Amino acid sequence: MHAMTVFYTIIQQLVNGLILGSFYSLVALGYSMVYGIIKLLNFAHGDIYMVGAFVGFGALGIFGNALGIGWLGITVALVISMVLVGFLGIVIHRIAYQPLLNKNAPRMSLLITAVGVSFTLFNAVMVMTSGEYKAFTTSLGYDGISIGPINITYTQIIMVVATAVLMLGLYWFINRTMYGKAMRAIALDQDACRLMGINVTKTISLTFFVGSALAAAAGVMAGVYYGSIHFYMGFIIGLKAFTAAVIGGIGSIPGAMLGGLILGLLETAGTQLPFVGSAWKDVFTFGILILLLVTKPTGILGKSEIERM
Amino acid sequence: MVYSVGFKDRVLETINGKKTRAFFLSLLIIIVVLLPLGVNNYVEEVMTNTFFYIILALGLNIVIGYAGLVDLGYAAFFAVGAYTTGILMRYGLNFWLTIPIAVIFCVIAGIIIGGPTLRLRSDYLAIVTLGFGEITRITARNLKITGGASGLVGIQRPTIFGHKLYQITDFYYTFFILVILAIIVSLRIYHSRLGRAWQYIREDEDAAEAMGIDPVKTKLYAYMIGAAFGGVAGAFFAVKMTAISPETFAFTQSAMILLAVILGGMGKIPGAILGAVFLVFFPEIFREIGQMRMLLFGILLVIIMVFRPQGLWPERKS
Amino acid sequence: MSKKFLSVLAVTLLSFTVIVTGCGTQSSATSSGSSDQSAASSGDIKIGVPLPMTGSEATYGKDMENAIKMAVDEVNAKGGINGKKLGTVTGDDACDPQQATAAANKLVSEGVVAIVGGYCSGAVVPTLTIYNEKNIPYIVEAANSSKITDQNPGNTFQINGTAVHQTQKAVELFKKLEAKNVAIVEQGDAYSSDLAKQTEAAWKAAGNTVVSHDVTTKGEQDFSSLVTSLKSKNTDLVFWTAYYADGALLIKQLRQGGYKGAIVVGDGSSDPKLIQMSGAAGEGTYVLSPPVAEFLPTAKQFADAYKAKYGQTPGAYAPLAYDGINLLADAMKRAGNTDGKAIIKALTETKDFQGLAGKVTFAPNKTLQESNFIVLQIKNGQFVLQ
Repeated sequence: MHAMTVFYTIIQQLVNGLILGSFYSLVALGYSMVYGIIKLLNFAHGDIYMVGAFVGFGALGIFGNALGIGWLGITVALVISMVLVGFLGIVIHRIAYQPLLNKNAPRMSLLITAVGVSFTLFNAVMVMTSGEYKAFTTSLGYDGISIGPINITYTQIIMVVATAVLMLGLYWFINRTMYGKAMRAIALDQDACRLMGINVTKTISLTFFVGSALAAAAGVMAGVYYGSIHFYMGFIIGLKAFTAAVIGGIGSIPGAMLGGLILGLLETAGTQLPFVGSAWKDVFTFGILILLLVTKPTGILGKSEIERM
Repeated sequence: MVYSVGFKDRVLETINGKKTRAFFLSLLIIIVVLLPLGVNNYVEEVMTNTFFYIILALGLNIVIGYAGLVDLGYAAFFAVGAYTTGILMRYGLNFWLTIPIAVIFCVIAGIIIGGPTLRLRSDYLAIVTLGFGEITRITARNLKITGGASGLVGIQRPTIFGHKLYQITDFYYTFFILVILAIIVSLRIYHSRLGRAWQYIREDEDAAEAMGIDPVKTKLYAYMIGAAFGGVAGAFFAVKMTAISPETFAFTQSAMILLAVILGGMGKIPGAILGAVFLVFFPEIFREIGQMRMLLFGILLVIIMVFRPQGLWPERKS
Repeated sequence: MSKKFLSVLAVTLLSFTVIVTGCGTQSSATSSGSSDQSAASSGDIKIGVPLPMTGSEATYGKDMENAIKMAVDEVNAKGGINGKKLGTVTGDDACDPQQATAAANKLVSEGVVAIVGGYCSGAVVPTLTIYNEKNIPYIVEAANSSKITDQNPGNTFQINGTAVHQTQKAVELFKKLEAKNVAIVEQGDAYSSDLAKQTEAAWKAAGNTVVSHDVTTKGEQDFSSLVTSLKSKNTDLVFWTAYYADGALLIKQLRQGGYKGAIVVGDGSSDPKLIQMSGAAGEGTYVLSPPVAEFLPTAKQFADAYKAKYGQTPGAYAPLAYDGINLLADAMKRAGNTDGKAIIKALTETKDFQGLAGKVTFAPNKTLQESNFIVLQIKNGQFVLQ
């Protein structure tokens, strides 16, 4: 290959990895937040992302006529989806998880409940859509910036910016507001929080709301960006985001952001690398994950703590 | 209330009575043995499938229930067993000879997975085992020797004492015998030194270590034995299906086996059996409602967990 | 404790056994009765229809089942087979080998004399011997992996063109498009991987180059790194061998990423939704397709009747599904009875049976003697026959 081609390919792959990684980060955040506060691996989180995409799709269908299917319509659909799916997160927490938390049930049972919730969401959407793919039609084109053979569309730029805005918002929320402070406190010591008069259950619900809303945002953005949605779109990304959260150090918010980006870059690198290629790229990713965990068991930004299941 | 408690006790006493127990157990065995005479192929197939999942659930139960370790990639062991048998039989090896080799390969896989990772925190163990499960599946999909994405087809049927196992009834009895063996092995292990060591580790790892139990080594045994169960089940699965493909060993499969163990009640042999029975029967009984059944299954799963977080058949704390 | 649990275990299993036995008898009772159940329609001659009714491929399964039921009704309206009426029993294989064997055993238990259906190759292969042991003929309508041909125990007839046929058509098309650097993309399942590997081998055998052979994961949405990788290899033709939904995504991202070469997709992507979902990016895409109703002059009446009955246009495999029943009816008439061996013999001897999709004559390996694949191209948002 010509040296220049190699250079362009590397740049383009970096861009690709960054975009893919920002989706992973948004979904990974929800995993990490919920894990941080109640030590639950919320398996249903990928499906929440999927439901978010469908709610956004529905909202765009309803408001698209009046607002158009451009950025305005999409933004409205995004907000609607975030709010509705956020409430869905609260409902799931209250119905499925809180009763178990009250009973001080084993964490394994919580995990299985999460699998049950995942099954429910997945199959409910499958029944409702008859398993069909839906075309997420928008009026966004492929216009963008071209530098030599490198293409970056405006849609891609806006996606990355939107992700960054959402993450900064979350950062501010967690570090600068009372609610955020309560969340962080509960993650440290629930009983002490109760004594201090913090409504623990409500705060956990709030965490589910925020995590689910972020996943919904990622779902709608994925729908807009890729142009089609289907009932199992959450499965793969759920797995990947889970991996991303662990790479970054599960429970850590900046860790989830970093983990997502690293995973996105690893995957694109895997596709392009000789001897790896698309067929082996997941083996490559998981291999690196395992190596990382064996050498640094808490993930990149995770705190070390001693605990057992 | 007093009456109901008294009644419950009496029922339990009757059930637990030595004679009643012997009676029910023999009745059950007789029914299971005679069942193929009275039912059609379909019921036999469902029962065989149930037996198969019971074996897997009992194997995973050793890892999860006995040793208290998370494993989200148990299907990997079952895949190693199935592929080992399938490949070796292709090279003309007798099926019965492939079983010990399949078991050895699975145990090695157990060591590879367990060795470096058992020191990890439990949640990381979850993702690492999940990762290993996916690596196994993708490797099987990409390699030539495993038949790529189409998998291995045309695996020969085994012969025992001159009788070729090929009809569903043959496999029904084969898997039933395997279930009995699996139960016996599980029981023996549970009451062995090793079984007690796992119990100590589960209760208090530091205390166990202070008592001279090597936690990593002991945990590794759990992986190895659990893997061996998967290997045997996989070997028989290969000859029953005559065709195996990577998709059979996807994450959903691991999740299903995990569900069986936890749904039934971790650590309990009847719990694992009950979980496996539920898992196979539920979708079959509700076959008529098609897609809705999996939705119902998910909802039911949540309900069961909410009301019985310890599983349908929890281990009684003594 | 060990003793106590054994007794409790015994009781539980006992009750479950009773339930299962009860269910077994119950289910066979409902379907053998004359009442018209949802899954089983009444009839003297029962035909088993294994298709995906649940899962991601359920749409295809439903479409084929519709066409099969239509054909059965028509045969019955004309007086049935030697005075006996046909009936179908659907078995959901969910495109999963394990579920497929359970469904196959269920169909056998219900006393079917023939099997018509089969969509996913992976779910078809392990069931072949189950039917063969009972001498039940199987007309495979859509699944076309070469593994089915390899593993055919003698009872199986494939009326869809096979991967071999499709590969020939693909190589022909690649040559016509003067492709130099072909890239093949599959999805890692039995069907798409089989087609991809066969095509790669055939294209290389013809003295050409395959620059890359990629595997994507089902449900994965981002192909951008794949697109960049393909571009860096100077690819001028991309051959996608899997299904339309992810195919549309790949096509979009290829064009979005500035790829200018030709795009060819296999028969799994032959669906009007490919056009809808790929939008403007889909223009010019070549599609290898089984004979679709709208391009078959003989199928006009069928397509109209289907639309009138089910309110939608027949899918890609509906004509073949329809042909399967008629072929079976024809063979039963020729055999003079419904004995499995006699039907298999009659099917083997089929000569120039005229179906919607063309003439059926079986080669010695019980696949079509002549390929029925067609090449379509997307032009102005529509499939155009090439």
